[in-house]
Formats: sequence, C-alpha cells, structure tokens
Amino acid sequence: MSLLAGQILNGIATGMLYALMGLGLSLITGILNIPNFAHGALFAIGAYLLATVAVTIGNFWIALLVAPIGVALLGLAIEYVGIRRLYAAGHDYQLLFTFGLALILSESIILIWGPVGYSHLPPDILRGGVDLGFTFYPKYRLFVMAAAGVLVLATWLFLEKTRYGAIMRAGIENKEMVSLLGIDIHRLFTVAFALGAYLAGIAGALTAPIRGLSPGMGVDMLGIAFVVVALGGLGNLLGAIGAGLLIGVAQAVVAAYWTEASTVVIYAVMAAVLLVRPQGLFGIR
Amino acid sequence: MKKETLLLLAAVFVLPLVLRPAIAAEIWIFAIFGLGLNLLLGYTGLLSFGQATFFGSAAYVAGWLLKHYGIGVFPALGLGVFVGAASAALVGYLCVQRSGLYFIMLTFALNQLFYFVAYQWTSVTGGEDGMPGIPRPAFLGIDFTEPLPYYVFVSALFLLSLWIMKRIVESPLGRILQAIRENEVRAEAVGYDVARFKLAAFVIGGAFSGAAGVLYAMLFGIVPLEAIGFVTSGNVVFATLIGGSGSLYGPIIGSFVFIWLSESVSTLWARWPLLLGVAFVIVVLFFRGGVVEAWSRFWSWRSSKPKT
Repeated sequence: MSLLAGQILNGIATGMLYALMGLGLSLITGILNIPNFAHGALFAIGAYLLATVAVTIGNFWIALLVAPIGVALLGLAIEYVGIRRLYAAGHDYQLLFTFGLALILSESIILIWGPVGYSHLPPDILRGGVDLGFTFYPKYRLFVMAAAGVLVLATWLFLEKTRYGAIMRAGIENKEMVSLLGIDIHRLFTVAFALGAYLAGIAGALTAPIRGLSPGMGVDMLGIAFVVVALGGLGNLLGAIGAGLLIGVAQAVVAAYWTEASTVVIYAVMAAVLLVRPQGLFGIR
Repeated sequence: MKKETLLLLAAVFVLPLVLRPAIAAEIWIFAIFGLGLNLLLGYTGLLSFGQATFFGSAAYVAGWLLKHYGIGVFPALGLGVFVGAASAALVGYLCVQRSGLYFIMLTFALNQLFYFVAYQWTSVTGGEDGMPGIPRPAFLGIDFTEPLPYYVFVSALFLLSLWIMKRIVESPLGRILQAIRENEVRAEAVGYDVARFKLAAFVIGGAFSGAAGVLYAMLFGIVPLEAIGFVTSGNVVFATLIGGSGSLYGPIIGSFVFIWLSESVSTLWARWPLLLGVAFVIVVLFFRGGVVEAWSRFWSWRSSKPKT
C-alpha cells in the first residue's frame, strides 16, 4: 500500500514536470505556430547547466536561478537568429530547422559533457526524506512538486492577470488581429519562445537531481511534451496540468509493477485517450 | 521513353560501378522509403514525422521470420509490405483525426511508442544491440549473399515501386489526395471523406516504408534500433525535402544526396549527427527550395537549349 502511495506521489512530482514541459511547448507552438522539435534539447541543456553551475560555484539555489535563464537566453537567440526567418515557410522547413537544432544541441552536450550519463545530488537541505505518516518520502521530490506548482501558478497569473499575458492569449487565438491592433507581434513571438524555453530549462534543472543527466534525456522528454500538448490542447493551462499528471501517475504506477513498460505506458495512455476522445482530454481544436 | 526514365535506368547501371554496391543498394532502398513519405508529404500535404515506425516494424517482423523460420525473400517482402501497411493503418487512424501541428506531434509520439516497445522487448528485438544475423535467402538458385545480385534485386524492386507510385499519383485516388493538399475544406465540401483518403495515403505510404525496411534489414543483415527511431523518420523527411517534395522524382534525388553524404561523412567523425544538424539548419535558412529550384532551373535550361 505504501509502495503504491509513494509511486502516486512520484507520479505527481514527475507529472508536474511534464506539465511544465507541455506548458512551455504549448506557448511556443500555440503562439508561433511552429513545431518545436528542439524543446527536449532545451530541457536537457537546462539540466546540464544546473549541474555544472551548482558544482562550479557550490550553490544549488543560484544554479537553479541561473540555469533556466541561460536556456531562456539561448531560446531568445534561436528565435532571433533562425526561427524569425521561418514564419512564412511551411511546417516542413520549420520542423527541419528545429530538428536540426535539436541534433546540434544534443551532440554538443555529448561533446561538452561526454556521452556517459551521471547523477547530480540535491542540495544538503533537501537530502533524505520525511515521514508522511503513510510513507517515507524524499524531501527533494516534495520540493519539486511545490516548485513546479508555484511555476505553473505564476505562469497562470501571468497569462490571466497581466496585460502582456492577455496579449499572449490573444496571439494564440488570432495573430492578425493582435498585429492589427498595433502590437509588435515579432516581439511577442520572441518573448513567447524565451518563456517557453525558460519553462523547459527549469523543468530540466529540477529533473537533474531526480533522474541524473544523460544526453538522451532531451529526446525522451520531447516525446512526452508532445503527448501533453496533444492531450491537453494548445495554450490550455489546465489541459497541460491534467495531461501531465495523468501520464506521470500512470507511468509511476505501472513502473511499480512492470518496470520495462514504464515509458511505453505514457504513449499507450495517449493512444488510448485519443481512441476514445480524438480531440484530446478537453476537446479543443 | 521519357528522359527521366532513361536517366534513372542509366543511374541504376552506373551507380554500382562508382559506389560500393551496398551503398548503391541503400540509395534505392531509401528512395523507396522516400517515395512512400512523399505520397503523404508532397501529394497529400501531410507531414509525417513517424515513418520509421513502419520501416522498423516491418524490418523487425520480417527479420525475425527470416532468421528463425527461414522464409524466402518474397514472403519476407510481402510480409514487410503488410506489416508496414497495418502499422500505418493503426497509427494513421489516430493521427488523421487531428490536423496541422497536432498531426505532426502525434506521428512523432506514436513513433516513440513503437521505439520504446522495440527498446524494451530485448528478447525479440535485441534492444539497443539490434537484431543481428538476418539472412538473404537464395531465390531460384540466385545467391543474394553476393553484393551484385542483391543490388540488381533491390534496384528492380525500386523501379517497380516507382512505377506503382506513378500509377497511384496519376490515378483518381492520387488526384483526390492532391485536391486535399490544395484545399482540404473544398475537397470535403465536394463530398470526399477527407479522413478516409488521408488514411488511405497513410496505409500506402506505410506499405512502401515496410518494403524498404525489409530490404534494408536484408542488406545489412541486422535491424539496428535506429531503424525504428525518430532520427530515421527525420532523415527521410530531410532527404525528401532536399530532393524536392513537389515531384515524383524528388525523393530519389534526395535519397541519393543524403545516403552518399551520410555514408561519406559518418565514417569520418563519430559525432556526425552534429554536422547533419548543421546541414539541416543551413539548408533551411539559406537554400530553402534551393536544391529543388536548382534542379528545375537545370531542367528548364536543358529543355530550352534545343530551341536556341
């Protein structure tokens, strides 16, 4: 019983990270109308930056602050130099560009950090576990749940309660209209890409102490981010959280009984949901 | 005969003289794979980023039966076509109900589903090590383990595939697919069941991918895990785009350029996917439609010459 409870908690923690990934991808894909195949690579860069900065300066918290900002700046550069020139091109060329970027970034990870994965410990204060009454649970995972929750909430407040957030939501609905109202649509695109990259980066940074680092972590996460968006819907915050938690918990519960199937189950759940509801969980577009 | 046909026949004869027969065979196999994708990408306007699903599934199933049950080359090929089409029917059924970016993401996500099944099911697929030891059974006394007979076999099948694909795109079905590409709403409005035609394109494309997958497995004697991985899906999209998705012959040119390039570069540096990524980015930023345009400009230059 406590095994299952623990696994469900694990599922919620990873599910929140999946939601962050899906949310970032959903902002980029929804506003810029491009397939971002580099989203997983941005996640991986976030994780590696965290580990490197944390080891170099010896402070996890500063690393957690700096690493996602680094990824956001990288996203800014990618949009400004490359993607900006591709808005008029078809999805095929946009896909090829972001896929090429993903290859470059993940190969660069191997060149810089080596092909072999390694682990990264959480900071001292978050090591060990706490007794929750029904199960003994690692502190760091509780922290991840809280941190991801705060980030999702902050994104929600930004999108729903600020002026620029409203512009962003309008950008998902109707770009021409936003542009006609005198809003700099190109700056909106840049901001959206940087924000999406930031969310991917911080999801990676938070993941590093749980799953460690490996060059393949980006691709694995890319598929999961696609699943979250396919199930949750573009630009749908609640959809991203719902889809993220659904596959996170399903994966964790299956992992307890049949470890080999734990990754397959993410995609199997997606296929099952789409079989019943082709329009996704919340049925938009 | 038309000049494209003559040029192709010439290429089929010349290629094994200038390249290793294995690489020459790989070019035609990849071209069959590209033909299947281009029915979706070029003719129906569907960007599938999951073609490796059908390529790899067919390679694994046929490879397993070739290895353990000693089936012949043609049963293996027929089986590959069937597995490719059947897996494409499954994947396509889920994907064609969504459009645009959702469609692309779903093809990729379902590719990952098949990939992770192959990755974990090590007792059958060999997981990361791949499935080695796939034979090339002899047919009517022709020894396909020799490189040249196998090359002839592959290139004959390529020409057959091209002929079939030409018939398909020129058939009423092909016209309807092109109508869907041009204007999906209008195709729907004049009474075509768009989702069903998209699914048909998917299944046909899957059948071609399956045939290519089996030929690939027999060529190298192994089904590597990458055969069902997303990079393979990306490579065939890249090859088709650089060759030009606008014509029947585009994927063939693309396959030639892609295989020749990757075979010559991958031996030089283990991190060659980095160079591949750089090539993708450069082509998209600076030579978008470049190879296609260069090609058509070359042809218009060729055909305008006699007039002057």
